[in-house]
Amino acid sequence: MGFFRRLIDFLTLGSDRPVRRLVAYYLVLAAVVGALMYFFPVVDHVIGSAQLDQAVSGSQVLRDGLQPETIRGFDTDLSPRLELALSTLIILLGILALMLPVSWVYMSTRYSKGHNQQVAQTLIFLPLVVAGIVLVVQNSLALAFSLAGVVAAVRFRTTLRDARDVVFIFLAIAVGFAAGVQTLIVAAIVSLVFNFVLILTWRYDFGRSVLEPTAASQWSEQLNDLAERRGGGKVPDRDLVLAIDQKQALALAERFDRVRKILGPSGKKPRFNAILSVTTETLSEAQAKVAEALDEVAGRWRLDEVVTNVGKPSEIFYLVRIRKSTSKDELLTAVRAKAGDTITNTDVQLAESTKEKEDEDAKS
Amino acid sequence: MKAFSATVAALLLLAGTGCRKSGEGAPDASKEDSAGLESRVARLNEALAKADSGEARGKPVARWLLPPELAEVSGLALTPDGRLFAHNDESARITELDYRRGTVIKKFFVGKEALRGDFEGLAYARDRFYLLSSDGTLYEFREGAEGERVEFTAHDTHLGRECEFEGVAFDSTDNSLVLACKNVAEKKFKDMLVLYRYTLGDSGGAKLSEVTVPLAEVIGRNPWKHFRPTDITMDPYSGNYVLVAAQEKGLLALTPAGAVVFSRPLSGRHPQAEGIAITRDSILIIGDESIAAPGTITLYHWH
Repeated sequence: MGFFRRLIDFLTLGSDRPVRRLVAYYLVLAAVVGALMYFFPVVDHVIGSAQLDQAVSGSQVLRDGLQPETIRGFDTDLSPRLELALSTLIILLGILALMLPVSWVYMSTRYSKGHNQQVAQTLIFLPLVVAGIVLVVQNSLALAFSLAGVVAAVRFRTTLRDARDVVFIFLAIAVGFAAGVQTLIVAAIVSLVFNFVLILTWRYDFGRSVLEPTAASQWSEQLNDLAERRGGGKVPDRDLVLAIDQKQALALAERFDRVRKILGPSGKKPRFNAILSVTTETLSEAQAKVAEALDEVAGRWRLDEVVTNVGKPSEIFYLVRIRKSTSKDELLTAVRAKAGDTITNTDVQLAESTKEKEDEDAKS
Repeated sequence: MKAFSATVAALLLLAGTGCRKSGEGAPDASKEDSAGLESRVARLNEALAKADSGEARGKPVARWLLPPELAEVSGLALTPDGRLFAHNDESARITELDYRRGTVIKKFFVGKEALRGDFEGLAYARDRFYLLSSDGTLYEFREGAEGERVEFTAHDTHLGRECEFEGVAFDSTDNSLVLACKNVAEKKFKDMLVLYRYTLGDSGGAKLSEVTVPLAEVIGRNPWKHFRPTDITMDPYSGNYVLVAAQEKGLLALTPAGAVVFSRPLSGRHPQAEGIAITRDSILIIGDESIAAPGTITLYHWH
């Protein structure tokens, strides 16, 4: 995998642009498959030549099985069982090679916050299973009915948050089907076109309401200045800034305001320099005890957020100003001493400047 | 967009390469250099002459990779004028092959609707084809033109419970179809190789008789535990029945009375020999099905 990544880095000259990396991936894949097709005809067979041959009707010239140039690789020397095992393996590896970029695109092009890891993993597993089923069923009507009976006994009810997740799942099924009927070339074209179309629609924010003005159209001068590469490096990604709409820009501004208020005006000493996180199953009791500990060891503190979870411990986040004389470990020790019996875990994240100072102290 | 176009072009190029390569197996014969096909015939004749002289005896003289619809080639039949026909295991599609040049001549279909089943053997008798299914049903039909769907008449031998059929041949001396049993259910036929004769009556009626051969005689000195024939044909020179068995990879010749002439292992590579035919120009043709690779017909010099 490391070698593969280095190869793609080399081909894309280290570019982080998803389209370039995707192109490089497909070119490498095409080269590998081309070589395999040449040396091992069974690869050609599962990629789709069987379907192409079937399309030809009328008079045909058959391949000569005794001519040395047509006997390459394993094609003529393996037992039927080994041939079946080999072609199945090639199909499954082909699916992996085709679905990896789809999962990358899925993870990279989310519009909403974060991506669903289950869907990302399903994109890899699902087509493998689908292809396996299709390979087993093939042309057998009896097996197809049996499969329908078995599947009817298992009920799946999964709600996907985003309609686009459903499309990804459909793509995974399509790739699995195509591979199962030994037309990997169809699977390759479908996944390739899908990936590029998705990346391009994401890149150009296709489908955005034209009645809703973009942020750029409202505050073009300020945003252009912000997005300028030489504008102090504030926002180096010009595309990102110009792609957001008015609502998103306002939401961002609101969030920046809130953070600024918490951290204090820029240029001055920040009001807080650490975030204390506590995990607990007894929320109110833990809050009271942690408050006692913070009163003793912290210069200043405030409760920032309480996240309650169903079926697992809740989390409490505090913004803390640690005194110069107090270290991170001392803060944690104090919290554990006071509230150790009510919390399951605690951690402190230091601001960069505080962290650097602690490192220097540790060295000296 | 440039990057996208480049990738699509690269993949299309790859697909194109694949098409050309697979096209090696299926270009239009009319476009093929006829000299190339004639050179195949010359090569075959040369190989047959070598085999006849004792040089390279037992080695294949030609092998043709069949199109995907014949990946599960199951039966072979020769017409009196020497044309070879083959069929697939599951669908009643009949394909005419030119075994000397290695080409597909035509395909036609049995039944107005797609006829599917477990077809195991094909024979040509009195201007009609007989396609045998494993349950002993015989489908009788005429030869069709390219792409034609031909009507059929089904004959039930009522032997489906007694025998799992695997091959059929036409014995012109007594005007009967000889049906080979792969597995026999009847206890009285335990340790016997069983053939049924299905005599074709002029008025469409039929009479059944059986030929049994003790397995011990069939096996002889070969290291086989059984002999389960997968196809049967007539030797046009001797009038003997010649059977092939995929599992044992064996060849057996019997007189019509049931005496063993010889039984021996198949020479060459035969992953699953499902079809056999012997031509009047001394060529033994063995059809092999395959799961992942193409099916094949392999030609040997006969005698």
